[in-house]
Amino acid sequence: MRRSAPILGRFRYGYVAPAALLVAGLLYAPFVWTAYLSLTRYDGLAPPEWAGLANFGKLFDDPALLTSLRNTLLWVVGTMVLPVGLGLLVAVLSHDIKGGAWYRVPFMLPYALSGAGLALVWSPILSHGGIANALLGVDTAFLQDAPVNTLAMLLVWTWQQLGVNTLLFVVGLQSIPKEPIEAARLDGASGWRLFRHITWPLMRPLTAVVVGLALVASLKTFDIVWVMTQGGPGRNSETLAVTMYKETFVASDYGYGSAVAVMLTVVTGLASYLYLKRQVAS
Amino acid sequence: MIRRAVLVVLGLVWMYPTYLLLVNAARPAASYDPATAWAPSGDFALFANFAAALDKADLGSSLASTALYSVVSPLLGVVIGAMAGYTIVVLRLRHGFWWFLLIFGGTVFPSQMLLVPLFVGYSDAGLYDTRAGMLLVYTAVNVPLAAFVLRNFYSGVAFSIFEAARMDGASTFRIFWRVYLPISTSALAAVFILEFTFIWNDLLFGLTLTTTESVRPVMTALAGLMTDVYAGTPVPVGLAAGLMCSLPTVLLFLATQRLFARGLSLGSV
Repeated sequence: MRRSAPILGRFRYGYVAPAALLVAGLLYAPFVWTAYLSLTRYDGLAPPEWAGLANFGKLFDDPALLTSLRNTLLWVVGTMVLPVGLGLLVAVLSHDIKGGAWYRVPFMLPYALSGAGLALVWSPILSHGGIANALLGVDTAFLQDAPVNTLAMLLVWTWQQLGVNTLLFVVGLQSIPKEPIEAARLDGASGWRLFRHITWPLMRPLTAVVVGLALVASLKTFDIVWVMTQGGPGRNSETLAVTMYKETFVASDYGYGSAVAVMLTVVTGLASYLYLKRQVAS
Repeated sequence: MIRRAVLVVLGLVWMYPTYLLLVNAARPAASYDPATAWAPSGDFALFANFAAALDKADLGSSLASTALYSVVSPLLGVVIGAMAGYTIVVLRLRHGFWWFLLIFGGTVFPSQMLLVPLFVGYSDAGLYDTRAGMLLVYTAVNVPLAAFVLRNFYSGVAFSIFEAARMDGASTFRIFWRVYLPISTSALAAVFILEFTFIWNDLLFGLTLTTTESVRPVMTALAGLMTDVYAGTPVPVGLAAGLMCSLPTVLLFLATQRLFARGLSLGSV
């Protein structure tokens, strides 16, 4: 776009001011404040007291945080394999057959339920003595032992998220150019080979977006865990986001909670950076 | 053929929990038993369960608050964001790119980085547990995406439109309001739908910044209901509550699937 002289409206700054002020006041300022609080001892009542890196030192020998990290990693890997991987499968299977949209309806329905609604609905199924126990004739307490409880919640998450991932992949598949695929077909490529060598490389940019979205979202998993187990029993199903909330608002250790928030931010930022770098490199 | 078979089998697996949910949400509250939960009940009590959920958990006022938040905040956010995009692109604001970066940069922080200062700051400012406070934070969260999408949209609009309007003597604000806002309806709608859904489904801000039932958004109220599922709220009522509170997003989603998918990919770039 050609750059020319700014247009002198009387309220030029007045027009960006609402956006800039809202963002600065409610997003940037709290961000900086949290970063500062992570270096203090603070209970929300007495003024924050400088503590240097004490909170971060505590992070590294807190067994609950280790569990939390392990569960978060499980969420990330599980999300890549299940909702994203299966979503791709359903999209590839259904995007070019007649009536494909109808085959996808069952996967779209669960997307209607949100985090809290989803968890609410699945609790009577997975709770001990609940519907799953009755149907399967087993006595497993799906929400009790780690890592079974995290895996069970991952399945619930998959049940909900598969549809939207499928939809995104389908939109991508339908918008890739037809010619290379037709040409490869004429050359005798079909099935897996056609997908692996022609379709998959063509849908690469879209895959990058879907995986990137899922990566960031899974690192911040909170709603479903908070509602189904509150991170328990004990603390064995906590994710980083749940640990942050509990340390801050349940244990009233605002300084330590802020340190967990900073750590979550660093982990998310680092993961996004490495991921983007790989995408750009290849 | 194999493809269809795989899809049908997987589809049936996916439908089964949906079936369980519907059957049990429609079951009279007293006759729920996990052992026979798979069988439909003869009596249809879905609406009675809706009523019980509204009544027992006081979901009515939460629903009203959430409806307010998820309509007003995205509307404000979209207009404020569009105005910023317009100023940066069309009015060629000096250092426009940096302004844009400042505004869009607001999306990169995880919400967890905002909670403590918002909680403490809201308590000091008298905004804690108020509808105004919730509207404010939800609007702020919406602005970066709206600015991003609308900035991109306006970059693709021919500048001659602006010049023509200028010739006619329209003020810059009038041109924004009467020309640019109307031509960007599809982009505005995509952002609106996305933000509506985000706010309707928000649990975290509600959990942190509210406490009374009339201010508390609906997902937070639902989460509160969870502890009661074991402590006395009958399962069918809980399921009906989950369904009822999800209905608005379902309807919106079904009505606008394509636009929604577009919005999702817009938000991620």
